[in-house]
Amino acid sequence: MAKKTKAENNRALPQFAVLQLSGCAGCEVSLLNASAWVKEFELVFMPLVVSAYEVPCVDVLLISGGVRSDEDLYNLKRAVRCADKVVAVGTCAISGGVANLGNRDEVRELFLSQNERRDLPRMLPKSQPVDAFVNIDLYLPGCPPTPELFMAALFNDPDFKPSKTVCQECGRKKLRDMRPKHLTGFQRGEVDPDICLINQGYLCVGSSTRGGCRALCTIPGHPCVGCRGPSDLLIEKDSNAWLESIQRVFAALTDIPPQEIREGLLSPQLALFLFQFSDYAGTGRPPRPKEKVL
Amino acid sequence: MTTLTFPLSRIEGHARVEIEVRNGEVLSTRFQAMEKRGFTLMVKGVPAEQMPVIVPRICGVCSTAHHVASVKALEDAYDVTPPPLSSTIRELLLLGQLIQNQATSLFVFTMPDRLGVESIFHITTQEAEKKVQFNIARRALMIRQLGTDLITLAGGQFIHPVKAVVGGVSSGVDPEKAATFQQRIHEALPTACELVETYWDISLRMKDRIGTWGDDQPAYYITSTNAVKPNYDASMIRVLAPDGKDAGTFTPAHFYDATEFEETDYSYAGRTSFNHGVMRANSLARANMTHSLDTPLADGFLTRLRKEFGTPAHPILLFDLCRGIELVYALERAAELLDQPLNDADTDVPYLPKDGEGWGLVEAPRGPLIHHYVIEGGKIKVGEFIIPTVHNMLAIERALRVAAERYITEDSVNMELEKAVGRVVRAFDPCIACATH
Repeated sequence: MAKKTKAENNRALPQFAVLQLSGCAGCEVSLLNASAWVKEFELVFMPLVVSAYEVPCVDVLLISGGVRSDEDLYNLKRAVRCADKVVAVGTCAISGGVANLGNRDEVRELFLSQNERRDLPRMLPKSQPVDAFVNIDLYLPGCPPTPELFMAALFNDPDFKPSKTVCQECGRKKLRDMRPKHLTGFQRGEVDPDICLINQGYLCVGSSTRGGCRALCTIPGHPCVGCRGPSDLLIEKDSNAWLESIQRVFAALTDIPPQEIREGLLSPQLALFLFQFSDYAGTGRPPRPKEKVL
Repeated sequence: MTTLTFPLSRIEGHARVEIEVRNGEVLSTRFQAMEKRGFTLMVKGVPAEQMPVIVPRICGVCSTAHHVASVKALEDAYDVTPPPLSSTIRELLLLGQLIQNQATSLFVFTMPDRLGVESIFHITTQEAEKKVQFNIARRALMIRQLGTDLITLAGGQFIHPVKAVVGGVSSGVDPEKAATFQQRIHEALPTACELVETYWDISLRMKDRIGTWGDDQPAYYITSTNAVKPNYDASMIRVLAPDGKDAGTFTPAHFYDATEFEETDYSYAGRTSFNHGVMRANSLARANMTHSLDTPLADGFLTRLRKEFGTPAHPILLFDLCRGIELVYALERAAELLDQPLNDADTDVPYLPKDGEGWGLVEAPRGPLIHHYVIEGGKIKVGEFIIPTVHNMLAIERALRVAAERYITEDSVNMELEKAVGRVVRAFDPCIACATH
């Protein structure tokens, strides 16, 4: 198929493309849940839903997934060459996401030794975020980002302001006199529908996680795992600042030993997301400026 | 020897097809899964109770199925039985997944093949067709959205649900929200039926144009749903022989004994066989192994399928038609469930985590999905994911060979082959992220 250029296309509508690297397609599914773009934008490249095999020049390039294989890297570098605005979409693109679990040395060794196939993309030594290789204009955090966030990125809405934290969107009652001594989670059975999940012994990090998700997990009773990353207050700080901020919330509301909280926060489920804007991916790069994060 | 390579789009994940040809003879047809993230290794050492939040990330399309399968595997290991209300809410979750998936496959992935466009989102500039196409796209996205919203209602987060927990679900469904949603389904059902009718008609026109429904030889069929009123929250796997006879029933723990599995050197996904023969999972398998869906509109379509194609039916483009039947079924069934009280009883029971082994089975849109965990010291020692797309790998390659032999002669390659490759693969609706995990 011939490579399209902007000039050849119908310029009545702004154009965007979605480059999917190694990920789960959840970001793409979320984008499909936002249909407001259908009449306002021309989607010129997104293999999940469009039969097109080359990324053309576009106004907005959305990139989801991490850089896992040599093919991911090649596609990434080619795609950004003539995109006006490059957006990293979702936790995997921003920090490597769940693939970071595969970056542990003991796993990496097995993974690389077992995964070599004739004529297929080769695995790079580690899975890496996209900004380890290319410049990013905007970050859309979340696993996946909400449809509203996609709209804000495409429509360039200067007034878009998600609420500060998940906690503020959740609205569960915080109590000073219901102080669990240990994390108990779902082992107790029933979740009280109105009381703060921390008071009930759940490891919820909604107090410092960026809002904008409508607290979809915590309202029905599942503790926040922090998939939207830290709030603006913490986003440019190192991961310890976030850890300490969560520790302070637990100290105020519970009698759970700090070490227990710390271990929980460093366990895979939370570590996947908590450190996505700081040093977890091991790139050694400075934190992303908060102005670039939706 | 010539190798023809076809990149694939409008499927989940990165894959391509390679066909080797010598003097007009088709030597091989290969379906190559081209990505790999390594979840089997990634979950090693992870606290077992965190699996239901981690494993949905195997696939954003099939996340709900992984979420529920994971919880069920842990419940099996911990010997905990969730209360009945939680099973109903999990069924709603899996129905939401089915609606979202079948609507996506039908209207976003395969409808463009029937309309002759590159994407449902590429509205043609030809005025006459523009309206028709836009009308289909608008309604298709509306139906698809119902599936996503049902996942949100029953599962919390909209892509990677969280509400299924060991011991049940974390909360019920508010009666007011349930009633509003049920109303939405009732309003959408006629539209869904119209879309399925339209899909059926244009599929017939496509069949007339290309001269086949994708004829291929009979195969084994595999599902974990019941013969009457499908249960996606399943416990047993059934197999139907190519001649339509019962070929056995087994539990997920016996999956490895009952089937054969092998890796290949040209794909990051392996493949499964039954009695060393080709087997098929997904919608056509379920249709061939279901006597009645037990909802009026869906049963109407199922009867029509039986009348037109007999049972078991084998042409591969019927997979697509069966997805339409299931879309209608899932909407009807979800409306039935939303009529019941969904927050009047316990939704989860206490449990004690312990070490051991667990198997979790659900019928995902693509077929039986199994999670198998071995837990030691509270952590995952073995985490295995038995993926329905892998059961279809041999079937996809055999169907590709039939298509290749149809369009390749000693003198030439008919370029219809490129379209045929897309149609064949999409009929099976493979999920590459899952297959390679």
